Amino acid sequence: MCRRFHSLVFSALGSILFAATVFAAQTPKSGGILNATLIEAPPSFSIHEEVTISTVWPMMSCYNNLVLFDPLKKQESLETIIPELAEKWALQDGGKSLIFFLRKDVKWHDGQPFTSKDVKHTFDTVREAPGITGKLRVNPRQLWYENVESIDASTPDAVVFRLKRPQASLLLMLASGYSPIYPAHVPVSELRAKCLGTGPFKLKEYRQGELIEMVKNPDYFVKGRPYLDGIRYTIIKDRSTRYAALQAGRQDIPFIWEVARMPAEAAKRSVPKLTLTESSTNVNDHVLVNLTKPLFKDPKMRLAITLAIDRQGYVQAGRQGAAILGGVMLPRPYGVWGLPEAEQKKVPGFGDPAKQKAEAKKLLAELGYGPSKPLKFTVSTRAIPIYVDIAGYIIDQFRQVGIESTLEQVETGVWHAKMTRREFDVAVNATGIGPDDPDANLYENFKCGSARNYSAYCSEEMDRLIEQQSQVIEREKRLKLVNAIDKRLQLDGARMMLGWSKEYVAMWPYVKNVVPHQSIYNYGRMQEVWLDK
Amino acid sequence: MLVYILQRLLTALVTLFGMSVLIFVLLRLVPGDIVDIIFSSAGFVNPAAKAELARELGVDRPIAIQYVHWLKDVAEGNLGKSYRYDVPAWQVVKPRIPVTLELAALAIVIAVVLGIFTGVVSAARQDSALDYALRLLSLGGLSMPSFWLGMMIIFFLVSWVGWIPSMVYVSPREDLRAHLLQFIFPALAVGYRGSALIMRITRSSMLEVLGEDYIRTARAKGQREWPVIFRHALRNAMLPIVTVIGFEFAFMIGGLVVTETVFNLPGVARYLVDAILWRDYPVAQNLVMLIGFAVVAVNLSVDLLYGYLDPRIRYGA
Repeated sequence: MCRRFHSLVFSALGSILFAATVFAAQTPKSGGILNATLIEAPPSFSIHEEVTISTVWPMMSCYNNLVLFDPLKKQESLETIIPELAEKWALQDGGKSLIFFLRKDVKWHDGQPFTSKDVKHTFDTVREAPGITGKLRVNPRQLWYENVESIDASTPDAVVFRLKRPQASLLLMLASGYSPIYPAHVPVSELRAKCLGTGPFKLKEYRQGELIEMVKNPDYFVKGRPYLDGIRYTIIKDRSTRYAALQAGRQDIPFIWEVARMPAEAAKRSVPKLTLTESSTNVNDHVLVNLTKPLFKDPKMRLAITLAIDRQGYVQAGRQGAAILGGVMLPRPYGVWGLPEAEQKKVPGFGDPAKQKAEAKKLLAELGYGPSKPLKFTVSTRAIPIYVDIAGYIIDQFRQVGIESTLEQVETGVWHAKMTRREFDVAVNATGIGPDDPDANLYENFKCGSARNYSAYCSEEMDRLIEQQSQVIEREKRLKLVNAIDKRLQLDGARMMLGWSKEYVAMWPYVKNVVPHQSIYNYGRMQEVWLDK
Repeated sequence: MLVYILQRLLTALVTLFGMSVLIFVLLRLVPGDIVDIIFSSAGFVNPAAKAELARELGVDRPIAIQYVHWLKDVAEGNLGKSYRYDVPAWQVVKPRIPVTLELAALAIVIAVVLGIFTGVVSAARQDSALDYALRLLSLGGLSMPSFWLGMMIIFFLVSWVGWIPSMVYVSPREDLRAHLLQFIFPALAVGYRGSALIMRITRSSMLEVLGEDYIRTARAKGQREWPVIFRHALRNAMLPIVTVIGFEFAFMIGGLVVTETVFNLPGVARYLVDAILWRDYPVAQNLVMLIGFAVVAVNLSVDLLYGYLDPRIRYGA
């Protein structure tokens, strides 16, 4: 009895001790400087004027949005949106108005109060509303807010977005790292060289091309946040050096867009303590055919080209296993809008490679091409190793069905301009999507006349479907429509989808709450990050 | 002597002028400009905004007008505004100059000291095991690009020591030890390659001089070996060595571009590559001119050094 009693007491004490240890280990600690990494200097600090993660990643810590994707949840969706400067929000007028109720305790880093005027100023500037005071030098996301008719900021603690038609995606785009609120009392041009936000960190020092140092904002409106005293974003251009710095403990986390699997795994092998997280970058690889060229106007020709490519081979040879097959929208488990796997397998090009190659040869023969008269064209791609690797694989696939193609490597500086002008036959390309959202993807890449619709695909019916899905508020109904659009775009050969690349983030285990999302652009706030040292 | 200096200065000026034309034209021959890059990567192209930016940056003007404006600005000490960073180009370039100068100086010191010393020893011990070993060492230096050696140094440090130098520039005032550790490895990587060529030239030049009558005479008079080698032979062997050091300086700039990147040093050379990729003309053309100016100045100094090293040389005679 006595022994049993002692044993019970000991196990109870043990359990309490264990629970206390776990609790202590998981209770966030304040203090410390996070050593983060960048691969290049940001072209400017102005998020609204830039299209690069090199700006968004460090500058997100300086600003706030109205709403934000929960930084602690891997998968972004309407359900993971949390309040930031807006305490709550609601749809009104049958989805034609979106009202945000704002926090009243927020101050800019210079001590000025935050009000609804700042919200109106920000989005009026981005959508270039009449009467705006400052203009953005480059305005890459004006299209996101094309559906906003007006912004009403007549009361300081509420703001209403009045829309031309209901738009389910507006909230998702507002939750992106690309949608910070700018101060109305600072000219937008000044924000290219400094950051003045309401966010958890303030800019302490910028050494051009070398270091961005942020320091904790002591007046941050979320009490007890941020945990860190500061963040040092060191710019390290060379990939080997970046991994060496991580392994040597100079850096705590890598650049968040280090997509390559092999160096991350090599770092993990050298320093087993490092944690390795597999995630998605919301970047898809695809083959484009130039539909302005008569050669590719025949659907049979496009079908033959897509059937020639073995997609599983692309995953293994092109991406060394670091990719998943998918269509126009990011597939599950990373995304929420992608075609179900069973449906994707039915899309031409995703079936049995041998049978498909035979079919491709047959189609080419019907079009008059064969060993005596091979089909010839150029395959263009960016002069970046991963692009060239994939293009090399694609050229080999074409060769197997009798297509003779030659590789053209194009320098990054002129790549987009060349694609916009449609100076190519066939191209191997990769496209990153900001939020995992149908509007953000479909309007930019598939609508008639869009500059980024590089293949020049244009279908009135598709445009109508894109508009239609955008207005459907009910998620399940919208998903069905988006899936149908996805399938149709692939069948039309608007883009010959290959797959979606995966990223491998190696970091030190004492870094807590850096949770890679399916889009790299939306989780750089750093408010919840802490160091277990 | 004065006439010679003036002639050399004039040649240097003509060279710099030719260089300025070449740099200006070549940069603009590369397809695409900064406006193309900024707008096309942004995805949304508004032709009016694009034209406005081209006008603002002055890239819409005829190339000859742009060139004249650049020369005029440089003459007035104005290096223009960085297209990419939207700040004065000088503000971007200025903090980088001391970094590259220090690295170049350290590397050249390492190259000269190591190269001359090993070259002299190798010549003095011709065909011995030591000679073969030193020649092998120099062959290694010639065969290994400095950036590769830099990477190997980094890998060695990470794998064996678990440490690498700071990734952020540390000023000597802040922490002298950390500063020196930050510079010594890249300087070794660049300097080793430079030392190899200097060593080979020193060796062959010394072998030639060591066979001269006056060396035999010095030895016959009972002078000790090392004073004969360093005081009599080396001084007479210096002319080709100095010429090679001048060349090495020019080659070194190329080596620094990648070495600064590998060791993450915020120098001019590393930044130049960025500026060219972004078609940031004001920064790129001024940096190339700056480097060209340094090379011309070093070569001019080498020419002038000849007279000091060998009093038999009389300029303009």
